[in-house]
Amino acid sequence: MTDTPIAVTMDGHVIEAAPGASLIQAWMSAGLPLTENVGCMGQGVCGACRVLVRRQGERIAQAALACETRAEAGMQVSFVDHFSARRTHAYDLASMTDSWAALGAIDAVFPEAKSCRHCGGCDAACPKGIEVQKAVILAVEGRALAAGALFDHCIMCNLCVAACPEHIAPAHLGQFLRRMGASLSLRPGDLVLRLAEIEAGRQTIDLDAPQP
Amino acid sequence: MIAWDQALAAPRDSAPPRPGLAKEALLRGFHPDHAPGAMTGLLVGSSAGQPCPTELAALLHANALIQDVDIAGSVMRDADVLVVGAGGAGCVAALTAARAGARVLLVSKLRMGDGNTVMAEGGIQAAIGADDSLQKHYEDTLRAGHFRAERGLVAAMVSDGPEAIRWLIQQGMGFDLAEGEDRVGGRMLRKKPGGATAARLLSYHDYTGLEMMRVLREAVLLTPGITVLERHPAVELLTDAHGACAGAVLLDMEERRLVLARAGATVLSTGGAGRLHLAGFPTSNHYGATADGLVLAYRLGAALREMESFQYHPTGIAWPPHLAGTLISEAARAAGATMHNGLGQRFVDELAPRDVVAAAILRELHEGRGV
Repeated sequence: MTDTPIAVTMDGHVIEAAPGASLIQAWMSAGLPLTENVGCMGQGVCGACRVLVRRQGERIAQAALACETRAEAGMQVSFVDHFSARRTHAYDLASMTDSWAALGAIDAVFPEAKSCRHCGGCDAACPKGIEVQKAVILAVEGRALAAGALFDHCIMCNLCVAACPEHIAPAHLGQFLRRMGASLSLRPGDLVLRLAEIEAGRQTIDLDAPQP
Repeated sequence: MIAWDQALAAPRDSAPPRPGLAKEALLRGFHPDHAPGAMTGLLVGSSAGQPCPTELAALLHANALIQDVDIAGSVMRDADVLVVGAGGAGCVAALTAARAGARVLLVSKLRMGDGNTVMAEGGIQAAIGADDSLQKHYEDTLRAGHFRAERGLVAAMVSDGPEAIRWLIQQGMGFDLAEGEDRVGGRMLRKKPGGATAARLLSYHDYTGLEMMRVLREAVLLTPGITVLERHPAVELLTDAHGACAGAVLLDMEERRLVLARAGATVLSTGGAGRLHLAGFPTSNHYGATADGLVLAYRLGAALREMESFQYHPTGIAWPPHLAGTLISEAARAAGATMHNGLGQRFVDELAPRDVVAAAILRELHEGRGV
């Protein structure tokens, strides 16, 4: 690896990046202010550092995370805002106590999902490579857990929300399915037993034991 | 310093580390807390006289960012509860207050969820196993903290553990089950954390914090009564005529103007200070962890505690550069990973307490056996 700096253009600034640097590190070491589009700073989990990246010789810009993408010569990069869903898809998990009604709730809360036009915009927008469109189709078919599982790596960057022309809000749909699945059907036996012991007063703590 | 290729060529010596300095001498000689000038006494307020890392003390002692005149005529917002900081703790505080009927203002310097919670990998501890108990969890925690923790606080946290896991599942968070176990009645996957006498680390894959934070974020967005203000750092706390906290002055980063948030109760859930890079070290903290809450509280006269106890985690990534500062979890050492200096020798028991391991690494560097 050489030490020759790499020239990239970020939000209109021509930046010299150190070889191996991520885009967000390149931006910071150029001394540019970083007060948004940043969070976990390298772990790729918070979804804040959304960027569009066009590599040299390519025509199409790709969505990516600036902390996970290394600077390459001639890259053109722009930060992307956080887009909220156009409307809130409201539901109250605590009142969803009848699991027979759960599948019906998918269409009641996310009626737009059945209008998916299979444009693939959500898939192209996802920086994590999630099969968003497939998940939406599975959700419409009522396959709640399978659809929710496809959102396992979702970081709630909301780029699929911005990309969808039908305002399906796929990331929120994914969270709805996942949350519904856990809250309605995850009942670990050891946890339930321990909670019962605590409630029965059979798990008290002796504050004075032990001593150093 | 030993060159990388030379160090790589040195034969790996798997012999256990030779007995070195006693723990106290090692810490005194090489731990960053004991370096000359590392600590400063705080000057004013109810924390006066307490030792505090010098870089943090400089922030605590700094002048105000704003004067009275700056807030004259500012936009005013009212709430029953103001929560400053929208990571895991702030979101739970906001949810709890709103569900109890309070009007909540949840404000964040960055975006909701962009904090340390979302970055947590390994898991969350609760004593749920048949071979485990609240008492064991309590004792393990005291022992790991060299018996310096407040016993009542530890007991409260440990006792709430199993209920907290149920609450998280009720919000829709998933947890891993042990292999082949059923969703109803099955056993949870439990891992053994460092220093524990029973397996009690509950997790969701290796991104427990992400699974937790996306659930909490969604719950906050859907709960009536919570107003979220992102990119609104608090720059000063407000007081009433009696000197009690009455809210905060926020800076609206979009409009570049100050906003007064007036509240009956104010919760500070602002996180840590890793991004101050104390003593020049990298950090695994998120970008916003700059001690804001500590400064806000100190300036209002609140007593700060245990300012001298910052953790220098011994292992992290130094190369490649785009991952510098990323944590290498203690789990790697617990699983048997050994550490070698530039001569290929082991130099410390890798599972000694973290302050000891960190000091031993710094000793190797100081004495020229680094890479």
